[in-house]
Formats: sequence, C-alpha cells, structure tokens
Amino acid sequence: MQLTATIRGIAYRFASVKEVLAKANAPKSGDELAAVSARDPVERVAARAVLSRLTLQELRENPVVPYEDDELTRMVEDTLDEQAFRAVKDLTVGQFREWILETRTTGATLRSIAPGLTPEMAAATAKLMSNMDLMIAGSKCQVVVRANNTLGLPGRLSSRLQPNHPTDDIEGILLSAREGLSYGCGDAVLGVNPATDSAESTAEILRALDGLLVKNGVPTQSCVLSHVTVQMRALDLGCPMGLMFQSLSGSEKGNRAFGISLALMDEAWEKMKHLGATRGPNVMYFETGQGSALSSAAHHGADQVTLEARCYGFARRYRPFLVNTVVGFIGPEYLENGAQITRAALEDHFMGKLLGLPMGCDACFTYHSSMSQDELEALKVLLAAAGCTYLMSLPVGDDIMLNYQSTSFHDIPSVRALTGRRPAPEFEAWLADKGIWIGDGPGERFGDPEVVR
Amino acid sequence: MSATRDLIRALQRRIVAEDPLPPPPPAPVIPSPPHRVFPTPHSRSRYATRAAAHTTALVGIGHVGTRYATDVVLQFQAELAVAHQAVATVLPDGWAAAHGLLPLRSRVADHRQFLLRPDLGRRLDEASVDRLQRDARKGADVQPILADGLSAVACMGSGLALLEQFTAACSTRGLSVGTPVCAQFARVWLEDEVGSLVRARVAVILLGERPGLGTGDGLSAYVVHDPKIGKTDGDRNMMSNIHARGTPPAQAAARLALLAEAMLSQGTSGVGLDLTGLARELGDAARRGYRAGAERVRLVEVPR
Repeated sequence: MQLTATIRGIAYRFASVKEVLAKANAPKSGDELAAVSARDPVERVAARAVLSRLTLQELRENPVVPYEDDELTRMVEDTLDEQAFRAVKDLTVGQFREWILETRTTGATLRSIAPGLTPEMAAATAKLMSNMDLMIAGSKCQVVVRANNTLGLPGRLSSRLQPNHPTDDIEGILLSAREGLSYGCGDAVLGVNPATDSAESTAEILRALDGLLVKNGVPTQSCVLSHVTVQMRALDLGCPMGLMFQSLSGSEKGNRAFGISLALMDEAWEKMKHLGATRGPNVMYFETGQGSALSSAAHHGADQVTLEARCYGFARRYRPFLVNTVVGFIGPEYLENGAQITRAALEDHFMGKLLGLPMGCDACFTYHSSMSQDELEALKVLLAAAGCTYLMSLPVGDDIMLNYQSTSFHDIPSVRALTGRRPAPEFEAWLADKGIWIGDGPGERFGDPEVVR
Repeated sequence: MSATRDLIRALQRRIVAEDPLPPPPPAPVIPSPPHRVFPTPHSRSRYATRAAAHTTALVGIGHVGTRYATDVVLQFQAELAVAHQAVATVLPDGWAAAHGLLPLRSRVADHRQFLLRPDLGRRLDEASVDRLQRDARKGADVQPILADGLSAVACMGSGLALLEQFTAACSTRGLSVGTPVCAQFARVWLEDEVGSLVRARVAVILLGERPGLGTGDGLSAYVVHDPKIGKTDGDRNMMSNIHARGTPPAQAAARLALLAEAMLSQGTSGVGLDLTGLARELGDAARRGYRAGAERVRLVEVPR
C-alpha cells in the first residue's frame, strides 16, 4: 500500500489509512479539535492524492476502528454483500468517484453496489468530491421507503414537522402541528423531541399526535424522539407509535455513551416490527451528526466525516424510513461556520444515499456558530437540488425547546416551488383535498391552520 | 448539419424581429397591505391569540406568497441579532474587580478560541490558579462562581443579582460561602478546578447560557458536590433559563441553595442525588434538566 505523495518536490508521508482519510478531509473545526486534520492546504491535497490511489479493497481491510475493538466494524464486515463488493473492489477511490459521476452510471446501478460498500468507502469518495460533485452524485441515488406513505420518489421533497415545546404542553404541540400541516409540512413525520424523557410522557404525546392525524385523515406517521429504551416501554403501555427513533454514533464506544448497542437496537427493531402502528416495511428513524463521537471521546483518532459514515453503516441494518444528519446542531467547535456546515450537509447526504439510506437533513445552526440566516436558506435549496429526501420544519425555523434555528414552515413550500418538487404522493392528495397545496402552488386554505381540526 | 444551420438561422431571425420579453401590462392598482398578524393584540389572528396561551412558538402568523410578512421578518431579525450580540459580547477587563469579585480566566486566548476549544475553557490559566490559592477563602461549604459562558450580557445583567441572592440564601441556611469569583471565557466544567483549588465541598457556577432567539439574557447554574477535575455531566444538577421571563433570579437563588444543602447532607450530586423530599420546595426544578418556558415579546416598535 502506497501512502506517499509528492507536491512541488516535497514528499508527504502518511502512517496509516486512517491518517490519510483524516487529512484528506475538507477543513472542519472538529477535526482541528481532535488534532487529526491536515496541517496545511497542500498536505490536505497530498492526502487526497494518496487516497485517490487506494483501492476499495484496501479501505475494507483498513477500517478506522479495528475489527477486534468495535462491534460496528464487525457488523459491517460480517454482513457485507460479497457479490456487490466484488464488482467494485479493484477500483481506486479516484476511479470510483469517476464511475459514480459517469452519466451512464444510473441510480439503479448505484443501488445494486450499495450493499457491498463499507462506510469508509463512502467517506473516502466524499473527500475527493467538491460540493457540486456531492450534489450530482447524491441526486442520482434512489432510495424509496414506505411507512404510511412513500418517501424518496423522484421529484419529491418531504419534511419532518417538529412541533417541539419546552414543557411538552400538548395543546402547544398540536397548535404548532396544525400550523405546519397547513403549510404542507409533515409528510415525513410529525416528530416531537420531548422535554421529559419518560414512557408515560412519550405515550401521551404519541396519542395526541395520532389523534390529530386520525381526525384529519392525514397520511403520515408520528414519532416522539425519546431514548429508545423509553420508547420500548411506551410501546408496552400500548400507544400508537408511527416510527421508533434513536440517535446513532459511529463507534461502539460512542453508542455506549448514547446508552445503546447493536443488541439493544436489534431488540428495539423487533419490538417495533410487532407493536408499531405503521404499515411499514420501514419503521425506524435515526439521527446523526458530525462530531458526536468526538464529543464523547469515542472517535478513535478518526475524522468526523468517516465516523459519520459509520453511523450510516449502523443505520442501514434496520432499513429505516428516515435518517437525517443534524448538521449544525452541536456547535462551532465541530462545524465553525456556514461553509463548514454547508459542506458537511452535502457530504452527509451523499454518503447516506450512496449507502442506501433515505437521507434527510436538519439544516440548522446554533446561535453561537457563525452561519448567517441567508447562508442557511441557501443550503436548503442546495439540499433540495441534491435530491435530499426531507428537511425539518418549525414555526419560523425556531426550536423553542432546543434553542436552535432550522427550516421553517414557510421554507418548505418555498423550496418546493423553487426546485419544482412536490410532497409525498399520498400526502399531496390530502393537501389538495384540503385546499392547502394544489399542483405546484398554494391553494385557498394555504397557511390557514383552521383547515386542520 | 444543414438542418441545424437552418434552425440557428431561423432562431437568429427572431432576434432581430421580436422583443425577447414582451412589454409588461400597465401598473395595477396595488391593494391594501396583507393582514399583519404578529404580535400586537389588535392585529393578531384568532389562532395566534389562542396559541399564545400555550406556546411561544410563532404560529398563526400568516404569509405573503410562501414567505413571511415584513413585521415577522423584522421580529425574527431582531431576535437573531439579540442572540448573536449576546454571544459576541466579551466580558470587559476589570469588570469583575470593579464589582468586588476575584477575577479569574480560563486558558482561552480570545473569543474565537473560546467558541472552538471547549477543552481550554474548562481549565484555569496559571495566573488564576495563583490568585485563587493566594486570595480566596479555603474550605467553605459552597464556592460560587459567576462566569460569562456563552452570554457575557447575561453575566453582567442578572448575574450579579443572582450571585448576591444565592450567597444570601446559603447564609440563611447556615452554609459557609467562599470568596465570590468571576471567570472569563469559562465553560461549565471550570467549576471543578476552581472548587478543588479552594477545597470547597460544593461548587456552583452561574453562567450565561447559549442564547435562543431573542433571549440573550438567560443564565444557567450547575451545581456539583466534591468538585474536582474528572467530574462528568452526570455528577451535576443544573437549572436553566434563569431570567425575569423564565425562572426569576430570586427564586433560582433559593432553589440552588436548597440543592447545595441537599448535596452536603446526602454527600452526592447529579444522578445520585435524591430530590423526592424536596419536590415541593424545588417545584419544577426537581426534575433534572428542567427548562422553564419563556414569554415571547415584541422587540421592534416604530412610532407611527
């Protein structure tokens, strides 16, 4: 394996594939914090040059966390589709990037090789791509999933409605939810981050959301984003759970900090398949985000893009209905500004899609990062153009519980209009029936929350 | 090939013959402005009025096309500016000493580094270690630390009042209180090093919290028993949203003193601390990680 490159007569040597992957990464404050990033822009390009010559087989043989030390690495290695892997294993990362971008490489072809890819391969490819490369490649991937409706069809853009409330006031949650539905939001899920992480509270919110959906005949699903063990207890209480949620990390140690393991998630998935309230077959919802492993000192000296891809390697085991990166949420120490948040969003979308996941994105910032509102609005359009499956939606984009800025109820119809995308078909029919959104534009009752009872 | 040439010629003839954009229709009579809904009572929608009793979320705000009305844009921008200003404000040199507090500083060099290097914000610089060892009272029950955190505005705002009221509340309960200090560029875990250097039994850091929209003046408090480097979040009890519209400083001060007293008598803090007996006095704050709601106020007023 060749881990050396020369630029203008200066030789750059790297000690491991993990170091090459880290130093090939676009600049991120989180990689600086972890002290794994390239020391200057030229070394970064040298690392990319080395990476471009590594084969996918070599990447498979060099996971960033060793097989012996990590159950995620073992699961990915032991369940990899050998036939799909054989089709691409001798390509270098540089050739693989070119093959993906070739016009004759279709979404269907990409889908057929996805089960043979490890997360490290997806991450490596992203590191050789510009933002527009990531968009072109991401837009090719087709991932269609179904719960109570169908997400990810060509020409569609869905949204999670996120009616959070700082004290879980049910009326307050429903008031936000009705407003959001009247703007055409919520076809991915009505998903509440609860202030209180208890089974009773989870069940109570789920019953209220389900009541709203049943009363109005809305073809979508509900979710309360409490810890997976809390949701399992809520299922025992007999509540209508549309999707089961969990945050994921990219290493076994990181997942332990989240209070989960492979065995626990396997058990949760089984339980949900039997007791969940959706038609399926896709019933799980996962959130990820660059930096989560480092924040629990579980990064094993790897960069945050590769660790993020490893979350997707974990997620795909459960054939989820939704996966989204919460891209600017954990703060400027991981993604400092608009350029880094934008880049991370497009990387995550591409990597998730390439690995076969229905990727959405919570395009967001906290108020101590230096991303402007204009930059955030631009990112939403970029994501839609890249074929992102869904975005979030909140009143004025303001999460009054988690205190950060995301996509607004008004942004979803705006981005749909700008990019010519439509809601999920079942939901679109409901919107037309209510006079909220008809064809390509607002109907008579658009933005009138009284249309939802 | 000649077919292509013919097509190009035909198209080019149109360039001369036709205006590429037909002239616009005559200017229409512009109707009266759309209904504005946020947030003066006389212009609110019925839905917004009903919602205000349950949530601070901006709902019932209407729209123009698919976008916000101008008033909503201005309210949003004002709220965003308030939050950004709170984060950007740096605690002035000399502010701590001028208010009778022992000045401390973390290992952070400047504001940008403060945002990017939380690890440095959790440790004291050498001068501060010396100052604490030389000038601070040792072995008190409770060591209070006022700090900027992510909002120096909050620290300089209700921070002083909260510190004084908390000190008084501790004294009322018969707890001894260490020399009041004020730390610049501080993260929550800085309380571990400060508390251990002065050998306090409990450390309390009162610091500006990460602002939400329009709320740059909130403080959070983190209380830890047996402070020393290596304590984690699970070892702490916290209270957030301390300001006039959330938990008022006086109420927070009384509850924090009660928490400190409970830690001293039980010899633990965080997940190990049993608050069941105190639920009535602590109110909602008996729940770990509790956040009080905050009222949303109109920020932009322009005289007619």
